[in-house]
Amino acid sequence: MSILTPYGPRLKVIAMVLAGGQGERLYPLTKDRAKPAVPFGGIYRIIDFTLSNCVNSGVRRVFVLTQYKSSSLDYHVHFGWNILSDELGEFIRCIPPQQRMSTTWYLGTADAIYQNIYTLEQERPHLTLIASGDHVYKMNYRAMLDFHLEKRAELTIACIPVPKNEATRLGVAVVDRDSRILDFKEKADDPPTLPGSPDLCLASMGVYLFNTPELVRQVIADSKTDSQHDFGKNIIPAMIKEKAVFAHDFKDENKKPQKYWRDIGTRDAYWEANMDLVEVDPLFNLYDSDWPIRTAPLQFPPAKTIFNEEGPRGRRGTLINSLVSPGCVVSGGHVERSILSPNVRVEETARVTESIIMDDSTIGRGCTVHRAIIDKNVHIPDGTAIGLDPEADAKLYAITTKGIVVVPRGMHYR
Amino acid sequence: MATILLVEDNENQQVLFAEELRLDGHDVAVVGSGAEAIEAVRERPPDLVVLDVAMPEMDGIEALGRILAENNRIPIILHTAYATYKDSFMAWSADAYVIKSSDLSELKAEVSRVLANREKPKAP
Repeated sequence: MSILTPYGPRLKVIAMVLAGGQGERLYPLTKDRAKPAVPFGGIYRIIDFTLSNCVNSGVRRVFVLTQYKSSSLDYHVHFGWNILSDELGEFIRCIPPQQRMSTTWYLGTADAIYQNIYTLEQERPHLTLIASGDHVYKMNYRAMLDFHLEKRAELTIACIPVPKNEATRLGVAVVDRDSRILDFKEKADDPPTLPGSPDLCLASMGVYLFNTPELVRQVIADSKTDSQHDFGKNIIPAMIKEKAVFAHDFKDENKKPQKYWRDIGTRDAYWEANMDLVEVDPLFNLYDSDWPIRTAPLQFPPAKTIFNEEGPRGRRGTLINSLVSPGCVVSGGHVERSILSPNVRVEETARVTESIIMDDSTIGRGCTVHRAIIDKNVHIPDGTAIGLDPEADAKLYAITTKGIVVVPRGMHYR
Repeated sequence: MATILLVEDNENQQVLFAEELRLDGHDVAVVGSGAEAIEAVRERPPDLVVLDVAMPEMDGIEALGRILAENNRIPIILHTAYATYKDSFMAWSADAYVIKSSDLSELKAEVSRVLANREKPKAP
């Protein structure tokens, strides 16, 4: 703990993880679940990265603010993250909208906090960390906390340099030499660039650290306006004029030359972020024991391949450059550059390439699945081809801009 | 002149505060509980609510949240004998916090201030 803290050794920090987004651009992956509950990397859900960051950073009082289609997320958090000691005042807990201060669902990120003022009242944290449940990154929030205290900030925003063309869909900060934010533009067509780097912008990662009383004052004031009730669009631009608002340069725990932070906003971005993991040297490092990513415990037998017959029509279970989760059986099929979630079966002579297959799905005998996302509980009938003929695929499935075929959860074939 | 809803469970204080506010020219309606206050605001939204905090059944803090939930533009002054609620985050949703006193000058000053502010949009 920093000696600089004016709060003494009992500095209390609460994390509020915003997990209520519909994730419409990920549809149909979000047909039956909130975006933070979308499976990622075989065994994880997207929210696992933020929750791992919390636990690894020592931020162990965590509220997950749920909303739309929350049952899958609620189950995952309850089942997978009930690991902290309530006796020590530590917890990771989902809370649905309480409708204590409002009769509507959350109108925006700031409204989500406003509607949970009672929760803050009960906990009375000195600092409140607000993070999104649908980003993939590794961040030590403790470093941000030390920075916040050192700067005596009212609000600190985690920021990362991103290419200008990507910054148009993000909040962008202009800072002085002391990292104080002088200007802030949300989703600007022509976002301000970094001094000396006309192609780079300093983008907000949607991770905010507030002195709690200031946070409460801001969201209350915002609640009485006709704003969009959004931190990036409303609260931050209003605050920078009068309050000490600082940008914290994101220190990536991923230990790669390039900083990794992804808002898995689209199905193509989702597919690409997953495909990165099958590379020889993935950009995102799941193997660093100093910054473990955890998830719900799995109780399945080890992944298995079977059959090793010779010849072009021989059954041979093969796995190449793939992530394969427990419970999977590759029964004489071929899996290459793909990610299999738990309990997937790939039957004989089937070929699965550059695809993501989620829990409990089966790829039937002789199927070809190429550049596809197969959601949970889909049983692809023997001999089906997916990802080879865009016109035929378009009659049955959703297809992304980049031509990735998406088969929704539990889809039935005639 | 403005319409004021006075929410106060103590009958003596109801008379005292209502009379004083009427002397300032306001049209004052009086109810005796949080639940009645919610109902009254729903039926006929006043220009201002003066809300006691310590009341039997629903207290003023809860009533504050429920009134704002339905109509977050109604100015509300918390009016209480206790200073302790002042630190409650929930109470910060009110436009003013006045400690009850036999000297009503602070209440009257806050009523005037809040009424004067009510049309101005509040920037955060």
